[in-house]
Amino acid sequence: MNQMTDLSTTDTSPMLRVTNLTHRVGLEIDTLTILQGVSLEINRGESVAIVGRSGSGKTTLLGLLAGLDTPTEGTVSLDGAQISSLSEDERARLRASRVGFVFQSFQLLPALSALENVMLPLELAGMEAPEVRAKELLERVGLGERLNHTPRQLSGGEQQRVAIARAFASDPVILFADEPTGNLDNRTGQDVSDLLMELNREQGTTLVMVTHDEHLAARCGRQLHIEAGILTEPELARERAN
Amino acid sequence: MAAKQKLMSVRRDWRERDVRVVLVALVIAVATVATIALFANQLQRTLVSSASSFLAADRQLEAENGRPVPQAWIEEARDRGLETGQMIEFSTMVLGESEFQLVSVKAVSDEYPLRGEIEIQPTADATRHMVGSGPGRGELWVNPRLLRLLELDIGDTLEVGNLELTITSLLLREPDGGFRLSSLAPRVMIHVDDVPQTGVIQDGSRAEYVYLFAGADNILDDYFQWLEPQLEPSHKWESVRDGETFSRSLERAERFLLLGGSLAVLLAAVAVAVASRQYALSQRDTVALLKTLGLSSKGIGGLYLRRLALWGIAGALGGLLVALPLFWILVRLLSDVLEQPVDFYLDPAALVPALLTALVSLFAFAYPPIRRLRHVAAMRVLRSQPGETGREAIPDIIIAIVAVFALVWLYAGEIALVVSLLGGLVLLLAVLALLGGLMVAALRRVRGGGNAWRLALVGLYRHRQASMAQMAVFAMTLMLAATLILVRTSLLDDWQSQLPDNAPNHFLINIAPDAVDEVEAFWSDRGAPLDSVYPMVRGRLTELNDQPVQEAVSKDERVGALNRELNLTWMAELPADNEIVAGAWFAQGDTEGVSVEAELAERLGLVMGDRLTFTIGSETVTEPITSIRTVQWDSMQPNFYMAFPPGGGLANMPGTWITSFHLDESNKIALNEFSRRFPTVSVLEIDHIIERIQQIVRQVTQAIEAILALILAAAFVVMAAVVSATLKDRQREGALLRTLGGQQSLLARSTMLEFAILGFFAGILGIIAAEAAVYALQARMFEGNFNWHWQVMLPIPFISALLLALFGRWQLRPVLNVSPMLLLRRLE
Repeated sequence: MNQMTDLSTTDTSPMLRVTNLTHRVGLEIDTLTILQGVSLEINRGESVAIVGRSGSGKTTLLGLLAGLDTPTEGTVSLDGAQISSLSEDERARLRASRVGFVFQSFQLLPALSALENVMLPLELAGMEAPEVRAKELLERVGLGERLNHTPRQLSGGEQQRVAIARAFASDPVILFADEPTGNLDNRTGQDVSDLLMELNREQGTTLVMVTHDEHLAARCGRQLHIEAGILTEPELARERAN
Repeated sequence: MAAKQKLMSVRRDWRERDVRVVLVALVIAVATVATIALFANQLQRTLVSSASSFLAADRQLEAENGRPVPQAWIEEARDRGLETGQMIEFSTMVLGESEFQLVSVKAVSDEYPLRGEIEIQPTADATRHMVGSGPGRGELWVNPRLLRLLELDIGDTLEVGNLELTITSLLLREPDGGFRLSSLAPRVMIHVDDVPQTGVIQDGSRAEYVYLFAGADNILDDYFQWLEPQLEPSHKWESVRDGETFSRSLERAERFLLLGGSLAVLLAAVAVAVASRQYALSQRDTVALLKTLGLSSKGIGGLYLRRLALWGIAGALGGLLVALPLFWILVRLLSDVLEQPVDFYLDPAALVPALLTALVSLFAFAYPPIRRLRHVAAMRVLRSQPGETGREAIPDIIIAIVAVFALVWLYAGEIALVVSLLGGLVLLLAVLALLGGLMVAALRRVRGGGNAWRLALVGLYRHRQASMAQMAVFAMTLMLAATLILVRTSLLDDWQSQLPDNAPNHFLINIAPDAVDEVEAFWSDRGAPLDSVYPMVRGRLTELNDQPVQEAVSKDERVGALNRELNLTWMAELPADNEIVAGAWFAQGDTEGVSVEAELAERLGLVMGDRLTFTIGSETVTEPITSIRTVQWDSMQPNFYMAFPPGGGLANMPGTWITSFHLDESNKIALNEFSRRFPTVSVLEIDHIIERIQQIVRQVTQAIEAILALILAAAFVVMAAVVSATLKDRQREGALLRTLGGQQSLLARSTMLEFAILGFFAGILGIIAAEAAVYALQARMFEGNFNWHWQVMLPIPFISALLLALFGRWQLRPVLNVSPMLLLRRLE
C-alpha cells in the first residue's frame, strides 16, 4: 500500500504501450472507424490528458486502454500484460488489482451508501475489513461525515469525490478518468480536479484522463490530441519539427 | 399535439418493459379469470347434465305409497313447459322355461329417460349401444343375468303377470340405476302402458310411481313451489344435488374452481401492482420534463388516465383472445375424458368477473402510483430529487388490499375463503417481518466479499428494502400456488380414497346365517374375497326414553328413518371409516348399549344415555345410547344407523347377513353360478354407478389440473414482474462491478446465490402461510380433515430457490455477455 512509485524506481518499462490500435463498429449500412492506427507509450507515474471534441473517439480510446473493450486491430499492453489477448475474466482480474476509474456521470450505485460504494472494489478484491480502508479514503476526500448518505443525498461534487475515493480504494497502479469534471460547475470542477491530482501524486499512480477542458488538460504532464480517431501529440510533433 | 399523441400510443408503450409487464399481467388476469369462469360454468352444466342422468331427469317425484299422483300435477308441469315422463317400479315373479324368478320391473313411458341414455345390446353378439328411449309396447328388455338364470334367449317370450312379452334386447345399463330395495332382483324393463294388462299392480301393491321432470332450473323451482304444499309425506321430490353420492365431490370441485379463480385474481393484481409502480417510478423524469414544457398537473393526470384506459382495453381484448381458445381446448379435453361430445356453453355473464378484474386491477393497483406522478416536481429536470419513500405507498397498499379482497368476495361469494386467504397473508407478513428483522441483523455482520457467498449476502443486506419487498411478493405468490396445490392434492386423495379402483361394487344381501361361511368360501375361491360380513336385523325405532317416538320427536323433525324399518346390526369392531364423536365404542364383552349414527342422532335430538326401544317382529329391545359415530355413506360399504354389541340386544333376533365386495367385470359370469347355488341371496350390482362416479371424478380432476397449470403460469409472471422491477438497477450494478474488476463467473454465482436465498426463504414463508390458509379452508370449505403435507411442501423452497436463481442468472445475461464499456454507455 502507498508504494511511492515515481520515475526514479527501477522498473522503467512503460505502464501502457499501444501499437497500431484501430477500432471499428458495424452500423446497419456500413462500418464506422472510430480509432485509426493509434500508437502510444505512457510511462509509470506520468499524467496524460487526451483532449478532443465530442465524438473524436477519446472515450472509446480510454475504454480500450483500460481493457473495458477489445480493439478491432492492434495491441494494448498494460503494466506488462497484453490485454488484447486476455480473456474477459483475466481482464477483470487485472482491473480489480491494478486499474481505477473515474467517470463523468460518477457511476455510483444509487441503492448503496457512500461507504458501501467505496467498499465495492475492496470486496471484489476479497479484502478483509474493507470498511476501514473505505472510511479512511472518504475522510481523505472530505466526506468523513457523510459515510451513510446515498448518492441521491449528495451533490454532484460530493458524488464525484465518492467516485474518486472508490477509484483509489484498491491501490491501482493506473487511473483512468473520463471527463471527471464534465458534469460539474467550474468551481466544483476545480476542487475535484485538485483532489484527483493530489491523490494521484500521493499514490504515485499513472493517470490517463480524457477531457475537452484545456485547463484541466494543462495540469497533466503530457497532452495528447485526438481528432477523427487519429491521435497526435503536439509537443512531440514540435520536437520532431525542431 | 402530434408529440403528445405519440406519448399516448400503446405501441410506443409496448416498447417499455414495465408497460409490457403490466399488459402481460392484465392479459393473464383476464385470461385466467375468464377461462376459469367459462370453464367452471361449462363444467357445472356438464356435470349437472351428466349427474341429471342419475335421475334420468332434472327432478324426480317419487310416490312411495303405491298410488299414482293426481294427473293435474303432471298437466301443470307440462303447462309450465316442463318435459315429463313416468316410471312404475315393482317386483314380481316371472316364470321361465322351468323355474320362477323374482324380478324387479321398471315400466317406463316413451319419454324415459329425459336425461342420459340407456345402454342395450340387441343380440348376444351385437355391439352395445346407447339409446334414448325404452322398450316399446309388447317388448321386454332384460338383465343378461336373468336370461341365463331362466335359460332364455333374445326373441323368446316371458310372462309378466298375465301379459306375455317378447324379449327384444339385453338391458346393460340404465342412467338412473340407483339403489332401491326393489332393484335387488334382476332388472326387467317394459313399457308403462303394458302395466295394466299385466294385472300385477292392485290397490295396496308395493309399487313405486316415479315422475320425471326436465327443464330450466327456474321453471322447475317455480313448479316445486306450486307443488310443495300439496305433497304428502310419502311423496319425495328429488333433485340431483340432494344427497347423491357424488354431489359432495361436485360441490368441492366447484369450490376448488372458485378458489383457483380467486387466486388468479390475487396473483394478477399483485403483478399489475408491482409493474405499474415500477412504471410510475420510471416516468418521473418524463413527467418533470412535461411539466417544464408547460403541461399542468391536471393535464398530466388526464394523460396517464387515458393511457391506463387504453391499457385496460388492450389487456381485456388480449385476455379474451387468449381465454377463448384455451376454453375451447379445455372443453375438448373434457369431451375426451367423458368419451362423449360436450356442447359449448359460452355464457357471456361468465366474462363479467374477468373484465371486472381488469378494471379493479388497473384502478386499484395501477392508478394510485401513477396518479401521484402529478406531484412530481418540475425541478427534477434540473436536479435529481429524492424519490418516493415506501411510506407514500402505504395508502395504495391499503386500497389495494381492500379492493382485491372485495373482488375475491364478489367472485367467490365465500367469506370463509376471503378470511382464510387474508389470514394466511397476515400471518405471512408477520412472519416475514420477524424473519426479515433477524435476517437483516444477521446479514449486517457479513463483511467483505471476494467469494460469491459473501458477495450475495452483502448484496441482500445492501438491498434489504428491495429484498424484503421481493421476498414478500415471492412468498405470497408461493403461498397462493402452494395453497392451490395442497387443496388439489387433498381433494384428489380424498376422492381416490373414497373410491379406490378396488372399491366394493357388489352387495350380497339376505345371506342366511348358516350360509355365511359357504358364501365367503365361494368368493375367496374365485379371487374376490368379501369385505366384512355384517348381520342385519330389520326393526323400527318405536320409543325414545319410554315415550312413543312419534310424540317424542317434534313433527317437523320427523325423519324418514322413523317411517320405515331400519337396518340394525351388531359388530365387535368399529368399521375403519366410522368415527366416534361421543361416548365410547363397545369394550370386549360389553352386551349393553347401542351406537347411533351422528346425523340421525342430531336430527332426532338424541343424546348419550337416551334409551331407544326397537320393535323387531313381535319383540322389543331397549338399550341406552353408549356412543354416537359418523358414517361414510358414500364408502360403498354396508352402513348402519344403529349398531349393537355382539351378544347384546340383537343376540337372539332373526336376521340375515350383508356384505360388499369388489368383483371385476371379467369375473362377473361367476354371479350366475352364485345365484344358482345361493338362490336366496340377493346380489346388488353397483359397478356401473361406481364407474360413473369415477368418470366424473376423472373429468373434474382433469379440469383441476388444467386450472392449476394456469395459476402456476400466473404465479410465474408475478415472479418475473417482481424480478424485472429491479432489473435496471441490477444491470447497472453488474456493469459497474465488472468495470471494477468483478469476474463474470463471480457475478453470475453471487447473483444466483442471492436469488436462491431469497427464493428459499420465500418458499419457507410461503408454505407456512399456505398450511395455515389450507387449515382454515379445509375445515370451512372442503370439509376434509387437515393433515400436514410435508411431502408436498418440502420441495417448494428448493424449487423456488432453483427457479429464482436461474431467473436471476437469465436476467444478468446482458450484463455478462456485453463489454462493460458498452453496458455503461447503454445504462447512462
